[in-house]
Amino acid sequence: MRRSSGIFAAAFVSGLLFASWPFFSRGPKSEFDVRGFSRLPLLEGGRIKPIDSFARNSLLVIRGQQSLPVDAHRLSASEWILDAMLRPEAADTYKAFVIDDPDVLGLLGMERSTERRFAYWQIESKREEIRGQAERANGLDSGRRSRFQTSIINLDHRLELYERIKNTVMVSGSDDPVGEFETFVKLAPGALKALHSPAKAAAADREAMKNLAKFIDRYRFLAQASAFKPLPPRSGENADEWTSVGESILSPAGGLDPHPGLPAFVHMAKAYKNADAAGFNDALHGFEAWLSREKPKAFSSAGSEETFNRAQPFISGMTLYVMALLGFFAWWGARRAWVRSISMGLLCAAVLVHTLGLGARVVLQGRPPVTNLYSSAVFVGWVAALLGLFSERIHKKGFAAAGGALLGFCTLLVAHHLTHSGDTMEMMRAVLDSNFWLATHVITVTIGYASTFLAGALGIAWIARLHLVKKHDAETDKALASLAYGVISFSLLFSFIGTVLGGIWADQSWGRFWGWDPKENGALLIVLWNASILHARWIGYVRERGIMVMAVFGNIVTAMSWFGVNMLGVGLHSYGFMDQAFWWLIVFSAGHLAFMLLALLPPRFWTREPA
Amino acid sequence: MPPNARWNRVVGALSSLKLTLVCLALLMALTVICTLAQVPLGTHVAVDRTIRTFLVWWQPEASSLKIPVFPGGGLVGFVLFVNLALAQFLRLDWSRRKAGLWIMHLGLALLFLGEFATAFFQVESHMPVEIGQTRDFTEDYRRLELAVVDATDAARDTVTSIPDSIVKAGGEIAHASLPFKLRVKRYYDNAELHMRRPTDPPSEATGGVGANLLVHPEPPVSGDDQQNAAAALVSAVAADGRNLGTLWLSNALGAPQGFLLDGRDYKLSLRPRRYYLPFSLTLKEFHHDRYAGTDIPKNFSSLVRLKDPMRGEDRDVLIYMNNPLRYAGKAFYQASFGKNDTLSVFQVVRNPGWLIPYLSCALVALGMMLHFGLKLGSAMGGSK
Repeated sequence: MRRSSGIFAAAFVSGLLFASWPFFSRGPKSEFDVRGFSRLPLLEGGRIKPIDSFARNSLLVIRGQQSLPVDAHRLSASEWILDAMLRPEAADTYKAFVIDDPDVLGLLGMERSTERRFAYWQIESKREEIRGQAERANGLDSGRRSRFQTSIINLDHRLELYERIKNTVMVSGSDDPVGEFETFVKLAPGALKALHSPAKAAAADREAMKNLAKFIDRYRFLAQASAFKPLPPRSGENADEWTSVGESILSPAGGLDPHPGLPAFVHMAKAYKNADAAGFNDALHGFEAWLSREKPKAFSSAGSEETFNRAQPFISGMTLYVMALLGFFAWWGARRAWVRSISMGLLCAAVLVHTLGLGARVVLQGRPPVTNLYSSAVFVGWVAALLGLFSERIHKKGFAAAGGALLGFCTLLVAHHLTHSGDTMEMMRAVLDSNFWLATHVITVTIGYASTFLAGALGIAWIARLHLVKKHDAETDKALASLAYGVISFSLLFSFIGTVLGGIWADQSWGRFWGWDPKENGALLIVLWNASILHARWIGYVRERGIMVMAVFGNIVTAMSWFGVNMLGVGLHSYGFMDQAFWWLIVFSAGHLAFMLLALLPPRFWTREPA
Repeated sequence: MPPNARWNRVVGALSSLKLTLVCLALLMALTVICTLAQVPLGTHVAVDRTIRTFLVWWQPEASSLKIPVFPGGGLVGFVLFVNLALAQFLRLDWSRRKAGLWIMHLGLALLFLGEFATAFFQVESHMPVEIGQTRDFTEDYRRLELAVVDATDAARDTVTSIPDSIVKAGGEIAHASLPFKLRVKRYYDNAELHMRRPTDPPSEATGGVGANLLVHPEPPVSGDDQQNAAAALVSAVAADGRNLGTLWLSNALGAPQGFLLDGRDYKLSLRPRRYYLPFSLTLKEFHHDRYAGTDIPKNFSSLVRLKDPMRGEDRDVLIYMNNPLRYAGKAFYQASFGKNDTLSVFQVVRNPGWLIPYLSCALVALGMMLHFGLKLGSAMGGSK
């Protein structure tokens, strides 16, 4: 006993050490303080976040990954955005744009080959053509667009994002941002004088006004094009009024009393261009000092979010879940107690890492854990893994724990793929902006999803045993069945309460309790299906095997109501993530149907002796 | 077979759990059908045809024949309700172990009743109101009325409202308060209105804006964000048989059209049906908050003045997201906005059964926790 808990503890601790690895790695080797830069706060999409988050999400949108290989090494998202903003001539040569659609390639005059990644300079000459095609396609309803039209809109959107990033700190390709800015500041007071009283103005001031006009055009463009607003309001200004570099320069105080962030950014820009690491770091640290003095809250929350991004708890959690799952397989094969201890240790570590990640998101966002599809996937996996751990205490056969590990892994994988749509901590539409309902309805419904999935996983385990295991003991089968029954009851409770709470929320915000809209119907289907299983069991229509088959079907029902209803509006012609997800959903359902068929085969196909 | 035995068999079948299972399966199928049907039909029509009906009908294209193909939500719900009630009393004993089941099924029965009450009694309408405006009626966009307004008295309008179902039936419409008859010559559920070009055939209308319009019938639409532009060609005929004017009326036309008769000024319009309220709302302020630096809406709120002389109410009310005004059996929800944030639109719902789901949810939750809690307790005890 003591030995097994020692092994458990060792596995648990090594799991945690594995997950904390990102904190020990030193990050990209660079003289420039890239990490400090990536922790600077900015306002974009209605919330304050670090440059790092914006860079990761942008690169995800543009390239589908959070990093970019250039020559022999890999650029982090922050390094990439630094290049894009401050050395666009270099960034334009990075192969960041993935183009799959053959018709879009045709439009660009490129042949289909193995190369599907392109650099901006390769596309630039066709930029106007792409914009025109995208505008034309935008006139159509999203359901009626062809694959080409959807892809061209998508490409145009990605190109525009990239172009905005390039024109955020300085007009892209500007040779001397510092010189420009300093001339502007020097000219501004005189020009203003000339503007207010043209009659009395000195000749020099009038000249200044004329010269200034050139700059104003450039900065106006900068104000319109920029991708984000990195300059926080100074004391006395409206707390929501963050500004972009261009906006700040053009503001009434821009030339006379420039925002302290302005010289910092232009000096960083110049130093970065000239490979002057010391100058870059000086300007950065000066701005950091100002931020920590004037905007300590925004500065520290952006920093915490960058730390969270770097830790990537859900990635390491995913790995730990897989290791735990393999451990359970090994245990069933080898039947050695120490293997089980290792697996349990790894699973507990995975759940702890998952919990910390979830908790960090809650703290960073100031919201209940589920706010969008991405976070619902993260949460479903967490609940399923916890439930698995808890159920494992009742019947120590490893099935509940393995099911929890499997679901933890799968849902985190789904969540990982959902990040491609952009910021996962996006702001919520007005009607959803209610922490009370997010914390009650959304959480209970999601717990219902998780437990239905766990029941389905137990069903799959039972069916696998039916065909794989030679020596059957009735006790294990019975334990599985009673576990599944318990979990189904649990999910009926939560999915029902969650569904009705949803109705009550709808009554509060739209004035009707139940409107039979697709998402409501999806939730109702889960309730009805779980109720059917329990009633069928009660009248003896189904026994062990029947319950398991029905539980497996429950997975299909849940997947349909979780993801399927979101795809209803998606026509056959659409292209992109949801379309891909649609095929995965079909594969998922087909796989589950196959399992159900396996269970329904007559006893002579089983390895188990029929009872 | 003695009648008693036959009766017992019917009751037995109605209270059987097999019937429960069949109903649950049918309800699942209906839910799936209803969900899929919403893609082409829109929510309202899909729900009306699959859930809020006793039978789901199928009409082959280009045929007037209707074939019932599936039991509708009303039928399944009713059978399930009877089944639930009978099974409860006939098959379940009154014991402490079953108390949870009793409570949860009672809550469920209430939920069914609530949904039936909603289906029969709920009335949805809208109230668009601009800043500074006072409104004492709501409008039902899915039902129309032909309104005849006697606008002679500048201070007070006398309104005669004719429901669209009567207008649609066609023929001659006489009303005691009108000194003329209305003859409906044409009625289209949905139509497209164009300015008439010189080459077009002459308009059938003799007056009003309709004389310059070409009205072309269109198939009705039912999508959630689509609206039908109904059109009716109506003649007003005086008691002596004189034609006072033939007008194209449509809810897509803004201003009412009319004629003079015996010194009185009559205005006709086809408009969303109005429900008058015994109180009034005045929109004082409307706010549309956005997240900093974006156009993503954060909140909508309307500050209104509620005046009800009958009950002596005169107070300010703030209506915002997730916070409706409930007053005199109606609930006013912030639904939409427009005209550069000077117009606020409330959805107005009258549903006498709105409290039922709250109660039933509490009961079912309590019942399940009791029942499954007992089971879990014994499972945990058993494993030790």
